[in-house]
Amino acid sequence: MIFFVYSMLAFHPQLDFSGQGNWGKGAQTSMDVSQYIIYIFTFFFILYSMSAFLKSRKKEFGIVMMLGMSVLQLRRLVFLENVVIGLASTIAGIGTGLLLSKGMLMLGTSVLALEQPLAFYWPVRAAWFTFAAFALLFVFISLFTAVILRSGTLIDLLKGSAKPKPEPKASAGLAILAAALLAAGYIAAFVVKGVVVIMALLPVALVVSVGTYFLFTQLSVYIIHKLKNRQSLYRSKTNMITLSDLAYRMKDNARMFFLVAIISTVAFCAIGTLVGLKSFLSGFVSASTAAMKYESYAGNKEQERHTALIERELTEAGIAYKPYVIRKKYALDEEKVRRFALIPATDYERLTGERATLGEREALLFYSENVNFGEETGPMPDSFPMRDGTVLDIRENAAMPASLAQITYADVLVVPDAAYEAQPASDDDSISYVYDVEDWPSTLAVAKRLMEQLQRNGEHHSFMARAYELNQLHQSFGQILLTGLFIGAVFFVAAGSFLYLRLYADLEHDRVQYRAITKLGLTEGELSKIVSTQIGLLFFVPIVVALIHGAVALNTLQNTFNANLVKESALVLGSFAAIQIVYFLIIRAGYVRKLKNVL
Amino acid sequence: MLEVRNVSKVYEGKIAYQALSNLSLTVPKEQFVGIMGPSGSGKTTLLNVVSTIDKPTSGQVIIDGKETNRMNKRQLALFRRRELGFVFQDFNLLQTLTVKENIIFPLTLDNVSVKEQDARVHRIAEKLGIAHILNKRTYEISGGQSQRTAIARAIIHDPKLILADEPTGNLDSKAAKDVLETLQMLNREEGATMMMVTHDPQAASYCDRVIFIKDGALYRELRKSGSRQMFSRKLWAYCPPLGGRKMNFRQFAVKNVFRNMRLYAAYFSAAHSRS
Ligand SMILES: Nc1ncnc2c1ncn2[C@@H]1O[C@H](COP(=O)(O)OP(=O)(O)OP(=O)(O)O)[C@@H](O)[C@H]1O
Ligand SMILES: [Mg+2]
Repeated sequence: MIFFVYSMLAFHPQLDFSGQGNWGKGAQTSMDVSQYIIYIFTFFFILYSMSAFLKSRKKEFGIVMMLGMSVLQLRRLVFLENVVIGLASTIAGIGTGLLLSKGMLMLGTSVLALEQPLAFYWPVRAAWFTFAAFALLFVFISLFTAVILRSGTLIDLLKGSAKPKPEPKASAGLAILAAALLAAGYIAAFVVKGVVVIMALLPVALVVSVGTYFLFTQLSVYIIHKLKNRQSLYRSKTNMITLSDLAYRMKDNARMFFLVAIISTVAFCAIGTLVGLKSFLSGFVSASTAAMKYESYAGNKEQERHTALIERELTEAGIAYKPYVIRKKYALDEEKVRRFALIPATDYERLTGERATLGEREALLFYSENVNFGEETGPMPDSFPMRDGTVLDIRENAAMPASLAQITYADVLVVPDAAYEAQPASDDDSISYVYDVEDWPSTLAVAKRLMEQLQRNGEHHSFMARAYELNQLHQSFGQILLTGLFIGAVFFVAAGSFLYLRLYADLEHDRVQYRAITKLGLTEGELSKIVSTQIGLLFFVPIVVALIHGAVALNTLQNTFNANLVKESALVLGSFAAIQIVYFLIIRAGYVRKLKNVL
Repeated sequence: MLEVRNVSKVYEGKIAYQALSNLSLTVPKEQFVGIMGPSGSGKTTLLNVVSTIDKPTSGQVIIDGKETNRMNKRQLALFRRRELGFVFQDFNLLQTLTVKENIIFPLTLDNVSVKEQDARVHRIAEKLGIAHILNKRTYEISGGQSQRTAIARAIIHDPKLILADEPTGNLDSKAAKDVLETLQMLNREEGATMMMVTHDPQAASYCDRVIFIKDGALYRELRKSGSRQMFSRKLWAYCPPLGGRKMNFRQFAVKNVFRNMRLYAAYFSAAHSRS
């Protein structure tokens, strides 16, 4: 069903990006790729659930075989069963997908912040595609399960899942190795900065993955073993039954824990990165774009008409604004590497509302600190040669305030008016007409109209509006974000479902066991406690590990982008944790109820 | 010590089945009572009701002056693990625990100190001859050893009332004798009240009193007088009218045919049409 809804989105005619240049093509490809990922993932998921289902029925198979059913017949039985189940669930999936699709499309629209809602359409292509893909998948899985059945003798089948297993053992060496690997990976992740991150990414991911694997298969069993040896702890209250059960399950569950932890980590990272990147870009755009700005370059004859138009539109829309006019001339510094925008002191004072108080031969330097992605820019000069031979002393050297950053990307020199006038004019010179609007989000409609009339980049001018630029960003980023969120959500749901399946595979065994203990005099409170502890560990151990991995990864990412992702990552990780808690509570309640029913 | 008053038990189902009908019974302190009866006569059901695992449909079970139907679930659970000991027909050992851990399980729930736990488990294991398998797992031991483990678990907390469902069903005569003598010793030395279900007149001869059940109601009762051997012979004499093993099998076979009526019908009609 998930797959269908997604492919419906992917095939949506209004979301065909392939015609929209590079950016659109990238988005389209990423949607295609994620479709394959989801498909592959679904495949493994279904395979896993089918084999869990078959395992729980091993005994039944053993009995029918003992009663004389041939292996061939049995395999045909299983194959047919699977095909029927598969067909039914595919059709049911497409059906519910259709029913939910209106909602999904609406959700998609709002998540993407798209302007026209995605229209509902009759997704014939998506339906066929889904159907074919899943028919193939189920046939394949049916063949697969039939093969799984072949292994195992009759006695194995008869003993089924209740086949006794020796108590799992863990090696101390591997347990220490697990701790060491994880520590090494984390330290590396914390230490590396900047560009090195990209190079360190793969080895660190590998080391941490291996560490995580041993963490679950060895370290956890080892810790439980140590706990079991603490007799006074082990042999009191319900600890004995909880711990020994846990030791048994840990090994069984280790591989699944590992999978879930890694999958969830990937989901966290993907979503965290996307959300972080988006807010980083939004922040960047809104910090570097004025509420509305008309830039007029040398030789512009329409400047009067255009600025009048902007002012009229704003007034008509009833939007209060403060206009500023800032003149700029560009000049290179002594070494001819750094380009500065010269701004007359009076314009500067008007724009920022601060006094410049410059002497005749003095200047203020403001450097931009936005776009340096960890790269070091060389030292700033302490004097500046004007074209007419005078040299200005740089009195102050500071980071650029936002209002200046919105006018130019270059570093800024504020010079005395006289010095500015003395500087010869050049083709690079420009005048910024800045319209400061307090309530800038409300200017979107006006900005759109203006953008149509003025064009973003004219021959002698350019026009920018913060509301418009942000809107553009959301539009194009939304697609990718949706894809990412969707994949993240799919992985997360899948991880949860793995846990759920695992739990229900154990239900039968648990029932027998808890029935026995209850007869011996276990109170319901104690039963709930044992079950809660066990399910809790099952649910939270992999997720907590994933959260820690995710936090470390996002921290590293933050170092790469030189951006502060704390808020976003906290949001992402927090919401995952919250969902997981809700998930846990629901499943625990259901499980305890199921157990109590049969007692 | 134990008083069963007008207890009835009806198993609800597609066809409601009355497993116990208006059964009354009193067991004084320190008595060793045996319960015999044909398969399906309601012995396990009676034991379950007495042990508060199952609730009677009507009637009361009073143990040591306490009306068990007045207790809530929690109280019942605590009562079971402190005052009662069971040996189940199917053992109910916990797979994930070792033999020793299984035996001390009731003690751990009540936070008895580790030292005390060890002391008791060793004393009992010696007595039951399972000291050498204490660290084995439940799937590594034989049926008889499982049975003795279950007995050890039932008596480790010195319960006031011990209920045993065929505790010797899986044992050879030598092992059975050991177990029965252990139970008898518990009864004589520790003063435990006991109720034991058995099919074996030899085993029943260890009891002070044997109650026969048929179709969920009391049928007859024998008290020991004289030696165990004499009692045993008396019991053998009483068994045939209740149905020996042959009877049991015949009953079973007939019941089975009725149960599978539709299956047979389908089978025979198919065979008929083929021929
Ligand atoms: N849970 C149940 N639901 C319905 N009927 C049951 C249930 N348990 C037992 N019975 C029926 O109640 C009757 C008495 O069963 P019970 O287990 O008490 O017999 P028993 O005397 O212990 O037999 P055995 O000597 O074979 O152990 C049987 O006819 C059985 O079919
Ligand atoms: Mg029975």
